Formats: sequence, structure tokens, C-alpha cells
Amino acid sequence: MGFFIGTDVGGTFTDLWISEESIGVRVFKTPTTRDVLGGVIDGLRMAAEAFDLSFEAFCARIERFGHGTTVGLNALLTGNAAKTAVLTTRGFADTLEIGRMRRQTSGLNEIEVTDSFLRNRHPPLVPRRLIFEIDERIDANGAVIRALDEAQARGVIAGLAGAGVEAVAVCTLFSTVNPVHERRLRELIGEALPQVFISLSHEISPNVGEYARMSTTAANAALGPLAGRYLAKLEQTLTQAGMRVPVLMMTCAGGVLPTSVLDARPAYALFSGPAAGVMGSLAMGAQIGLRNVLTTDIGGTSFDVGAIVDGKPIMRADISVAGADIRVHSIDVDSIGAGGGSIARVSGGSLQVGPMSAGANPGPACYGRGGAEPTATDADLVLGVLDADHFIGGRMALDIEAARRAIEEKVAKPLGLTVIEAAWGIRKILDSRMADLLRRMTIERGYDPRDFALFANGGAGPSHAWVLAAELGLQSFVVPAAATAQSAFGAANADVSFSTERPCYVRLQARRAATAQEVERIARALEDAAAEVGANLARAGVQDAPRLERYASVRFRGQTNHLDAPLADGAFTRESVAEAIARFQTDYDTLFGRGASFAGAGHEILSVRVTGSGAMTPPPLRTQGDAPVDHGLRAVIFDDPAKPVETRIWRTIFPAPGTHFTGPCIIEYPGQSAVLPPGALGDVDAFGNLHVRLAP
Amino acid sequence: MSKDALGSIVHDVIRNRLVAITEEMRIALQSVSGSPTVTEASDFFTGLFLPDGSVASMGFQVAYQAPVCGAFIRHITDKSSHVVRDGDMFIGNDPYIGALHQNDVQMVGPIFAGDEIIAWAGVEAHETDVGGMDFASWSPKAREVFQEGMRIPCVKLIDRGELREDVLEMILAASRLPGSLGLDIRAFIATLNVARSRVTDLVARYGAPTVSGAIGRMIETSEKHMRARLRALPDGVFRASDYLEHDGHANKLYKLDVKLEKRGDHLSLDFSGSSPQAPGFINSTRSGLAGAVSGSVLPTLAWDMQWNEGALKPVEIVAPDGLVCTATFPAPVGSATVETIWVTGNAIMLALNKMLAACPNHAWRAQGVNDGAMATFNLGGVNQFGENFGLHLMDPLAGGSAAFPAKDGVAAGGPITSPMSGIADVERNEQVVPLFYLHRRLAPDTGGAGRQRGGLSAEVALTLGGIEQAQALIMTHGAETPNSQGLGGGWPGATIRQRFGRGAVAQGLAVDAPFETFGPKPGLMTMTNRDVFHVTWQGGGGYGDPLERDPDAVALDVENAAVSLEAAREIYGVVIGDDEATARLREAMRLARVGAFISDEARFCRAEPCAMLGPSLHVARDGRGLHVTTPAGFILSTGHSRWREGAHRRTMQQPPAAYGVKLHDDLEATAWHCPATGLQLTLDLHLRGTDPVHDVELDLEDLVARQNAADANQGGDQS
Repeated sequence: MGFFIGTDVGGTFTDLWISEESIGVRVFKTPTTRDVLGGVIDGLRMAAEAFDLSFEAFCARIERFGHGTTVGLNALLTGNAAKTAVLTTRGFADTLEIGRMRRQTSGLNEIEVTDSFLRNRHPPLVPRRLIFEIDERIDANGAVIRALDEAQARGVIAGLAGAGVEAVAVCTLFSTVNPVHERRLRELIGEALPQVFISLSHEISPNVGEYARMSTTAANAALGPLAGRYLAKLEQTLTQAGMRVPVLMMTCAGGVLPTSVLDARPAYALFSGPAAGVMGSLAMGAQIGLRNVLTTDIGGTSFDVGAIVDGKPIMRADISVAGADIRVHSIDVDSIGAGGGSIARVSGGSLQVGPMSAGANPGPACYGRGGAEPTATDADLVLGVLDADHFIGGRMALDIEAARRAIEEKVAKPLGLTVIEAAWGIRKILDSRMADLLRRMTIERGYDPRDFALFANGGAGPSHAWVLAAELGLQSFVVPAAATAQSAFGAANADVSFSTERPCYVRLQARRAATAQEVERIARALEDAAAEVGANLARAGVQDAPRLERYASVRFRGQTNHLDAPLADGAFTRESVAEAIARFQTDYDTLFGRGASFAGAGHEILSVRVTGSGAMTPPPLRTQGDAPVDHGLRAVIFDDPAKPVETRIWRTIFPAPGTHFTGPCIIEYPGQSAVLPPGALGDVDAFGNLHVRLAP
Repeated sequence: MSKDALGSIVHDVIRNRLVAITEEMRIALQSVSGSPTVTEASDFFTGLFLPDGSVASMGFQVAYQAPVCGAFIRHITDKSSHVVRDGDMFIGNDPYIGALHQNDVQMVGPIFAGDEIIAWAGVEAHETDVGGMDFASWSPKAREVFQEGMRIPCVKLIDRGELREDVLEMILAASRLPGSLGLDIRAFIATLNVARSRVTDLVARYGAPTVSGAIGRMIETSEKHMRARLRALPDGVFRASDYLEHDGHANKLYKLDVKLEKRGDHLSLDFSGSSPQAPGFINSTRSGLAGAVSGSVLPTLAWDMQWNEGALKPVEIVAPDGLVCTATFPAPVGSATVETIWVTGNAIMLALNKMLAACPNHAWRAQGVNDGAMATFNLGGVNQFGENFGLHLMDPLAGGSAAFPAKDGVAAGGPITSPMSGIADVERNEQVVPLFYLHRRLAPDTGGAGRQRGGLSAEVALTLGGIEQAQALIMTHGAETPNSQGLGGGWPGATIRQRFGRGAVAQGLAVDAPFETFGPKPGLMTMTNRDVFHVTWQGGGGYGDPLERDPDAVALDVENAAVSLEAAREIYGVVIGDDEATARLREAMRLARVGAFISDEARFCRAEPCAMLGPSLHVARDGRGLHVTTPAGFILSTGHSRWREGAHRRTMQQPPAAYGVKLHDDLEATAWHCPATGLQLTLDLHLRGTDPVHDVELDLEDLVARQNAADANQGGDQS
């Protein structure tokens, strides 16, 4: 049997998750290299060595290679993407800079947003001098108001040659309703500049609303040459070494796609890491029969949450990158600045923890790298949750005195607390902020958090999960087997999936049924979208009939926000419209409470979306594990800062299935510590997941 | 003691939760609302209040609205005839009680813990039409508030959980847009439901006294912060004025004047020098003035603290009745928000920034005025779908932001009084309303000139799409009053230009036709799909003398079409690509400002500056005493801060056209220069025939002592 591999390239570490029938599941971590590729290859070599195979022999046995990377995201954030020009409609060249006025405040956290001095942190994706206006105009109904002036367009394109442009994004008004001008512009650019990467807005982001569409198309174009080169090189290196399967890239939407499909759409993979993490939880949830999962990840600077409802991740229509609205269908991963590195400070007599972070450098005071600000990690150390001599598996010694000093100085003294009380306060504030985000992801959307299983990922997740569970009224939480490499795990476990949308504006006054013409318009948009999905899945090698899901975006007339109402399979008819509206109404009431909906306002259908997927063979997940080793007792603060509790400390690389733990205890893994408060019970399942039940 | 301190951590946990609840209220409102003013422009307010109406937690929306719901709550609780029961919700919009104008519809609901009201939740949003003689409830011809939108002092819309359909029907019947108003009232109900259920959960968990204590402490914390900030700023008097033209009936000029006096941790804002109330709809009531104060004080002084009542407690308002900003019943106030309140806010922010500029620890964030005017373009009639429609265009928010000492203003940055405002996509607008844009872009040469340039304004050209004709309401202030004033010698952003071309478009294509230049308030008119409305809004205020701007930055501005070649030469004295020619031109321009450079050594103080009074204004001491000097050491005043007495002045009735700044007939501008170098120190706007005032009056010895003390402890103002 071959190797199933998932890789995830993060800012600091490149994670590899590998599974094979006889060996079981292994995780490897290597430092991320500047060229990204090197870190991936290093990891693979490390794995080959661990399995006593040559690199070539190892590659030849790869059954599946899932890959996630933030390379595109970093390129955009650091302005290192390809030199890109934008062509747009005459009169609208400043669309990116005006940015609906949202660009200037994009990315400011809840503390920064009231400070106008901090606005405009990110420049527009493309500077004004590389944006060119084309004489043409199409109206909201798709009518050509001003025909494309080809001579003028050719003149502009000729000028691009000298400017050293590597990519061109074309975004004209209402191209999604009538793409004739964008298509002709592609031909004109192709004739004059055959080497240039071209993105058309109606293909990359087929949605009405020119700012997000232009941003998405510009980002896609800017990443095109870069991502194409990187993926081609990765695939080439592995194929030459003997790999016989394609590289499957993780997308923001949680499916994987081969490079042949993704090369033209690198923007679809911008946020592959967080999406892969949620897909990992989804896959593991499916194995152990959990269909409603809140998946949390606590790292150094941020707390990320995704929600899986009835076996499907909650999605969102757009994401914000480098100040720009990027409209790609994405798994909704919400995030706040709360993590191990979150800085605690007292201001006006109030204790605040985060969103500012000490990061990795200087990092928490206990890292001994000159950080003087107390952080959540310092608090955990003082509270006995972390072991100064066994942090990241003992690879880094922590300075508990430095942690005490920082907390004493900056928190305990100003508030008149003992150091222990102050540390307890820091944890309390941090945990309550995280619980607020979990509430936002559930209660605010009409869900009861008690219907969910809580998955604790990331370095600090398993040590804070007991508080989060209690805060939300949950009886239990799960530390997944791949908690520190959840994204890599997800990349190896996701199905092939492709999703697209088509605008089809239909305006229904109160209690008016759709006309035959309107039904026809929606049906055609659905067919068109399904055809694109089918073609791309075929290219991705999905042989059998793919699973198709269809949605309509519906809102009350005049609203800005819409809901996606699922559509039944089969022919689309007038009844389908009525069903979609009825479903919208039901979902709406669930979300905003009875009395909030107002059918008298009428409805609008904005667009349709079709998602298709093809199932992949799941990798083997069974694991062997080791017997945890008893490392004695340590005093740990749980609920009462005045009453430290003698707590059993266990150490393990990977606890064996069937292992049972009794709280209070702390299980120290190489990159995380799972905390079981007094009265809690823990059991390891067949896949290595630790299930913790809190005392009732 | 330790126990109290641990209790304080619980308070902080609850505080975070209350902030999160306020955010949930925002999401509920924006998700359900049917008004683009709410969903796109964020012209709304959500908050949690103490039983006495003090706002404890508010969303990041329109800071002008902070006092509004609180005044409404006090109106309810002060009257024994108003019975408040669990499950009730009240609706109101009366500017003579708490609203800024009638379009601001508010709902509030008590949150009970047992038999006691523990808090109130409040929500407010701008509704496009609430009735009255003209569409959108803004009538330039109104002379009394009775002619404007309906006024609801206070009505119980939800009685112990039951919606009073009869009352709702009555309210909706008054509006030309019952659909969107109805949806928004549903949104208000959803918003208050969210607040009530979440706060009730908190009370169940922590108990009413703890939750009450936490809410009270949020206010105390912000008050502590604000008092610390004020103590760190210099004591003294700072003055600023702003102007608005045309009251709907006549193109008369109105002045909003603020005398800011800061002593210790107390701030007094005196508006007595403002114009008397107007016969038309530009007035604001005293509620509007309170809104203007919160809307300007919070973003300018409280940028890093929780916005609530506490941050406003140290602020005292002094204003007699009968001013344009304290208009008395039944004065019309329909357009108060974009007229008097907006302009009052500008004047307050300018005065506050002069105070920041006189403090070395805060001068880095002192700036001129952001987006000093919001023009109006309302359209009503029957839309392309055959429905009655009304739109209030939000695009005019996209004026320019003011420059800071170390960075240029943001293009289309808009106002800072509302941290999250946005405008809709052109495509989204054209899809649902009968508009067709010929362009929406940034307008060159609109940013206030300065060493740091103000942000450019956006501009649009519009005609109708899909319909033949509609009724348009076109009005603004700031066409002849440069509201986006600069700081430290920087120029104001360009004034608003409104032009209308009849027959200037055919089938969506521009055709040659004459354009009429509009004054500030052409008012209601019929617009057809052959007409084009072209409007350019105000750029942001500049900072410092434009002749000090880095010539490379000017060259980049020219490359990016932010500044024209002509303006580069005429305003900035830059000859692109020729450093020597630039240096010569600039020297000649400085000389031309003052006629001759004074070099008499007796007029200079050569000592190192020991304090700062403002941008380009130093304080230095020698044997003759304490002087205010220019950067060249030229002595402007000795022993007092009235530095204009020693500066060179140049008064203009109308600045050169290149600046894009048009002045009303009753307004003039005076530039003040360093007699030794020609450096522009400041630019004052004042009523024609009057002298500019001394805008900074403080004790120089006290200033020096403070600044030296601040240097010693790094100037931290956080306790």
C-alpha cells in the first residue's frame, strides 16, 4: 500500500502528515524555506529516511499528494507578486484605490478601528499608473452602450509591452452579465503579448460588484506567473523522482484541485491553510461520527475558528487580503488576535489581553529573548500548565522567573494582585475572548453551541479547551490526533471539489411568482455553472458522475446581505423558485428570530452557485501509539487561584488507542499539552484522538 | 482587597462580552436592514446603556449618535406617565428630544433582571423617508419643523413582547418608502432582541449586581482614560470656526464658532460666537449639538479607548439658545446632520487638533479637517421595475482625508466621525436603482495643498438608467466654504463643484452640451435620462507649507495624476525634473509672499527652542524673555502666545484658481508668513472685513514647564 501525504507550508514550519497501512500515521515538521519548495522536499526526505527508503523509492510509492501553502498570500502581503496591469472601463480606473472606502480600514482590529491615524495601511493592489481605461461600456442588462474601441485598446496594450508587465487583469463593468468585451480584450492582449498571464474578471469572480471582482482578478493575475512556476517546479521535482500522481492543491473552499485546473486560478488557493485545517476536522469528525464540529486552533498570535454543520463547513463569499476584498468562495474561518503570544496590559484599571502579540520574536517574556511584556504563555507557565523544561518537547527551555517578573511588573502590581492571581486573570480574559468568538460563530447564526463537538488544535488549543468547553456549556472536547498538523492532515483528506457561480438578477415584488422568462434565466445560469464545474472536475480526473450541490443567493428586496438557499436536484421550474424563497424565509427566521422577516418587502435572487465534488479513497487512519510515561506531580492552578491542585503529568509522543486518563492531569505531547481539569476523564480512540469528558 | 481585584477581572470578562454583544447587535441590524444607508454607509448606531441613559458600549458607527438614544431613554424614564415593562420597546425620532433630525429613527428597550431595569439597549438608523412635504424628508423650503418628516416623541411599539400592528401601520403610512422603513423596524426589533437575550444570559450567570457593576465600570474606565489624556495636553484656549452657506431660502453665510478651553482634566466648548438660527432646514437642535461634540471629541481625543459616556464626561458644552446649533422649537432641522452638525464637528475637531499640535507627544497626529462636507443627491420617483423608489446617494461620503505631519491624507478616505463607512459598488447601484454612472474616480488637484498633501476627493458623473425621469434633490454646503481646512500653513481641500448638463448624454454616451454650474443648494428639480449631474467633493486639509513638500513627492503626484503639472508649479513651486529651477522658483515665491525678507538680527532669537506652540511655531528663551518664533528663529511675539502680531499677513478675497478653493462673498482668507523666510505659518478663514482671531492663548511659561516635565517621563498619558 502507498503513502498518503498531506503538506502544509506555514510561515514558520512546513508540516507533513503521512499515512501508510502498515506504518500508520506520522507527522514531520521542517522549517519553511524562502523558496517554499525546499522545505517541502526537506520534509519528504526526512520522511523517506524515517521509513528507510530512498527519496526516489519513497516518491514512487506516493498514492496521494495533497498540498496547501501560503506562498501566494505572502507574495501579496509583501508586494512580491508579478508586475500586473489592470484594464477597465473608461471612468473607473480608481476603483481599487477608492476601494468602496473599505480598503482603508480593512484589517484594523477592534482596538485599532477607532484610530483614523492607522487607516490606509495597505496600498491598492495595483498602483494607478498600471491601471488603464478602455473605451467601452455595458449596462446592467448586458446591453452594449459603448462598443469596444479596438484601436484604442490596441494602443494601450502596445504600451504594456514596454512597461515590463508580466500579468494583465481585465475587469470591465457588467462583464459578468455580458462578457463580450472582456473576451475580445483577451484576444487582443494575447496577440500582442503572448507571454503574459491574463485573468478575466467574469471567469475568476463571476459576481456583480466591481470592486471585489477587480481586486480578485488583479490578485489572481499577480499570483498567476508565480504560482504557476512554483507548482510546476514542485510537480516536476516529484515526478522526476518517481511520483506518479498529480499534486493536489488545497483551495479556500476546502476541496483539492490538480495544478492543471488551479494554474489559471491561483486566487482560489489564497487561504488554503485555514481551509485545510477545517477539512481535517471534518474528515476526522466523519470517521468518529461527529457531524457538528467547532474546530479551534490556538497558535502564537491568533485564535481561528471554523464551524462544521451537518457534515459541511460554513462558507463565506469573500475574504480580506492586504486590505482588498477578495471574492472567492471560502470556508469561513473567523479569527481574533488571541494566542500564546497575546500581550497582557493594564490600562485605566482594566486588564486587556491581546490583540497585540509579542509574536515569536521577542516572544513571551519566558522565551528569554528580551521580551518584557507578559503574555498568555507566561501566564500558563506561572499557573503550572506549561513545564519550563519540557516546552515543544524540551527543545526550548523557558525562564519562569522572567515570566513572573513581567506579570508582577505589568499586571499584578497595577491591579493589586498576587502574581498567581494576575496570571489566572490573564488566562480568564483570554479564554473569555475566545469563548465570545465561538458564540459569534454559533449563537449568532442561530445554532446552539451545545450541539457541537469542540476540536482543540494548535499548540495552545488543547491546554485551553477545558475552559472554552465549560464557557459554552459543553460536556466534552476532542484533541485530534493531528492537532498540531491539522492543515496537513486536511490536505491529505479532502475530496476533489470545484465551485462556481453565475449572476442572474431576478426581482420579485411581494407575493409575485417568477415569470417563465425569469425561471429560464435562472435555469440557464445553473446549467452554465454546472457545465463549468463538470469540465473542471473531468480535467481533475473525477471519473464517476460528480456530486452536485446547487444554491441560489436570495435576499429581501433592498437588503445588502443574502443567504444561500439550497436547491433541490432536477429540473429548475417555477416551483423551484418558490421553494428557494420558502427555504430562505425559514433560514432567515432561524438566524434573526421570529418577527425579523418582512415578506412584504419582496425578494431578490442575485446569483446561483454550483459545487461539484468527487470522492477520493480515504487514507488509513489507524494508529499504534505509545504508552504515556508518568512524570510525577505538579501544582497547577485551575478554577481557584488560591488553590493549586497537585496534577499528574504524562508524557507521550502519540498515546496508544485505548489509553485512559483521569483528571486532574496534563498530557504533554511534543508540541502541545492537553489539560484535564479535576474530575475530567480522557480516552484515546482507535485513531489516536483524545476524547475528554468534563465532570458533570 | 485581593477579592475586589479578582472581581475586577470578572468585570473585564463581562466588559469584553458586552462589547461582543454590541457587535452582535450591529450584525443583526445590518443583516436585516433594507437601507443602503445602514448596510453600506454604516449610518446607524447600536449601544448598551445604563438605566440612566448613559451609553456604556457602542458600535464603531456614527459617533455623532452616541448621545441620541440616551436622551430618548431619559425622556421615557423621566416621565412617570410612561410605564416601562419587561418586553417593551419604544420608537421615536424627535430632534427636540434626542434625535439629530427626523430621519434618525430610534428604538430602545429595557432589559430587566427580576423587577429591576438593569440596562437599556438602543438602536438608531437613518431612514431615507419619514414623510413631510418633500421626498426624503429634507425640504429646502421648510420654515417650520411641522413641514418636515413626522415627529414621534415616544411611542410603545412593542408592548410586553407584542408588536402593536396598529402603531406600525400608522408609522409606515407616513413614509413614501414603507417597504424599506418596515424592514428596518423589523431589523431594530431583531437587534434589541439580540441584546436582551444576551444580556439576560449574562445576568443569569454572574448576577445583576456584578453585571451592573461591570457596565458602570466601563464608563469609569473611559472617563479615567480621557481625564489622563486631557491632563497630558496643554492648558489654554484654542479657537476655530467653520462656515456653511445657504439656508435653503437664501445664500447666507453661517458661522460655527468654538472656543475650546482646557484646564487640567476638564474641557469646555463654548459655541456662543456662532450665528443665530436660520429660517431654513440647516439648523440643529441642542441634541444635534451634543451629537456634534461626541462625534468630534471621540475620534480626535479617544482614539485608543472604549467609546462611551465616560469619555465625554469631562466635556462641558456652553451655548445659549437660538444659535444655528441650538435652534429653538419649531425651527426646521431636516438636514441638520449634513449641515450644522457636520460643520460644528469640523470646527471642534480643528480646535482639538490645534491643542494636540501644541503638545510634543501628540503633535504627530495633529491634522486639519477630514471630508468637511457631505453633499446630497437624492432621487425619487418610479424605478426601472415600476416600483416607487427613493435613494439617498452615499457616494458623497468619499471626500478626502486630512494630512498628518508625516503622511498624506487618504484619497476618498471620508469622515473620521464614522470609522466604518463605505460606499456601494457602481454595479450594485446600477442593478437596483435607476442610475447610470459616466465615471466614478478620484479628482486631481482636490487634496489640500501642503508639505503633506490632503487626500483627493472622489467625483462622479451620473445620469438616469432605465427610466425617463425622476425628481432629484441636489444640495450641499461647502461649495463656497472650504470646510476641509488645513493645519500649520496647509491649504484647505478644494471646495465642492456641482455641475448639471441638460442634454449632455444620449443613450448613455456623453455628448457635447453646455454645463450649468450650480450653487450650493439648487434644491428639487426634474432630472431626465438626457441630463448629467457632475459633482466633485472636498479634498482633505493639507499640512504645512506646500513649498516645503518634497519635490520628488510632487513628481510622483504628477505621475499618479493626483496633482496637475500646472498645480505642481503654481502651488508647490516644482519644475518637474529640474531641482535647481525648483529651488529658484520656490525662493522667488517665498519672497513674493512677504515682499522682502527681514534680516535684522534684533528680530531673532538664536536660542534652541524649549517648547512648541504648534506646527512651525517654536517657543524659545533668551535674555529678553520667552518668545514665539518661526523655525528660522524670527521672533513673532514675546511673553505671550498672540504670535500673529509679529507675522506677515496677506488677505485674499479669492485664492488663485489653482487651489480649487472658492470663497463665499462674505468670507475671506488670510495667510500668515514668516517675515524672515516667507514660510507659510497658517491660513485663516474669517468673515470679510473682520480680523482673524488669535486662536491659541496660553501661558508660555506654563507650556514650557509642562513640556519639559512631559519630556522627563516620556509623555505617557495612560495611567
